[in-house]
Amino acid sequence: MNKLIFTFIEAHKIDILEEWIRTTKDENDDRVVRVVSDQVFNSTSREFADLIITNLKGDKGDYHTRLKEFAEKVVRLGWPLTFVSSGLHTFGVIVFKRMEQSGVMTIENQRSLFREFDEWMTSMNIEIIGIYATTWEKTVSLQKIALQELSAPLIPVFERITVMPLVGTIDTERAKQIMENLLKGAVKHRSEVVLIDITGVPVVDTMVAHHIIQAAEAVRLVGAKCMLCGIRPEIAQTIVSLGIDLTQFTTKNSLQKGIEAALEITNRKIVNMEGLK
Amino acid sequence: MRIPILKLYNCLLVSIQWELDDQTALQFQEDLLQKIHETSVSGVVIDLTSIDFIDSFIAKVLGDVIDMSNLMGAKVVITGIQPAVAITLIELGIGLNNVLTAIDLEKGLEKLQQELGE
Amino acid sequence: MSIQSCVTIINEWDIVAARQLGRNVAKELGFGTVDQARITTAISELARNIYLYAGKGQICIDKLFDGGKPGVKISAIDSGPGISDIRQVMEDGYSTSGGLGAGLPGVKRLMDQFEIESIPGDGTKIKATKWLR
Repeated sequence: MNKLIFTFIEAHKIDILEEWIRTTKDENDDRVVRVVSDQVFNSTSREFADLIITNLKGDKGDYHTRLKEFAEKVVRLGWPLTFVSSGLHTFGVIVFKRMEQSGVMTIENQRSLFREFDEWMTSMNIEIIGIYATTWEKTVSLQKIALQELSAPLIPVFERITVMPLVGTIDTERAKQIMENLLKGAVKHRSEVVLIDITGVPVVDTMVAHHIIQAAEAVRLVGAKCMLCGIRPEIAQTIVSLGIDLTQFTTKNSLQKGIEAALEITNRKIVNMEGLK
Repeated sequence: MRIPILKLYNCLLVSIQWELDDQTALQFQEDLLQKIHETSVSGVVIDLTSIDFIDSFIAKVLGDVIDMSNLMGAKVVITGIQPAVAITLIELGIGLNNVLTAIDLEKGLEKLQQELGE
Repeated sequence: MSIQSCVTIINEWDIVAARQLGRNVAKELGFGTVDQARITTAISELARNIYLYAGKGQICIDKLFDGGKPGVKISAIDSGPGISDIRQVMEDGYSTSGGLGAGLPGVKRLMDQFEIESIPGDGTKIKATKWLR
């Protein structure tokens, strides 16, 4: 790193920081500023500027750890990537402007200074975006796993009766997961009746219906009976208007009705206790 | 190797313990029908707990043997189809419709008695 | 990168050998029981097609590592009569052998990727791949 730039930034650190924070605040579309307090904004900005300066000093190891920590923090705070990358850009503009004003930069050394500065800025930019992306990817994959975990629980409610409540959108991968859990659970609990409750499924299109039908057929193959519960009016409408044939299956409008029917199939029923006060 | 077919009261009991090749499957078809004829039972339980895959050929042989048994007056219940087997069958497009199923041998016998009692 | 092993299909026993090979490879790569059954069934269907229609051919199983993600590729190659109307054989319920007509469309559904190439009089090549989820 050019000694000249480094010395200059080190010397004018406080002024540059002040101006930088002010400009960033003005430039940003309030999106960041609105959600965080001035204090958090100022301290985070300062941390960011410090980070840039650490890089300048050339302490690579320290810089990487801090950059990673910073990127993770910003992601957690929900700040947009554009804030960080435009912040970096602004920093460059301010330093350059000041160097020009103070006469450190002359016509002779302008070109070489510019080239070095640009190189330094670009590599830092790439690094930040890289870390940012990795942090995001990690978050997304964690969420994916979390989603898979909650995707298809099978609940044994009574002996020989199990319920699988479905919540949220069903795509092909999830449908396969659901089918596996459903069948393995049915066999494990030796279920006679399996109820699939779709109260929490927002849309039932032909694809979703197809998967549900497949699941129900597979349940029949392993030797249990499958019942579809929680069919809301709009879903009944779409199913019929799409021409999906569900007549082979027992369908009930609520889980309660489903469980009553399931008890009946397994020759049981719920009765009120007599003689209680 | 032939698949053993056991008689228990008015039922025949078959447990398929190893992977079926084409010859064994066809041999089984013949043997079962012969045994139904000999013993004039009214029900058959075929247990597939140990079978970990069924392709369309074996599915067809099974479907056929069930239809044939029905023609001869014996109801067939298939038991113990593994989840993985059920999923692949459905994905192949084989629903084994009109086939009675139960989760295990015990439930299968119960179901058969129910069907025959009616 | 891929590691290949092949089985020549001439008689019915070779179908059993091919699917056992496939199951072992799938197990080794860490596929779950359901995917193992899917892969084994697909191999069985393809091997049976070779036995029934071409008389002789090969089933090859490749272990794939695509960007660190493992997968199994089944290739079924024969120099039999070929298929004149591929669209027709990919329809559910179409069969010339009195079977269920679930074979090829079924294999397509069981696997993640499916390719078929056939020249009448020259032979058929089918490739089907399943990736570890």
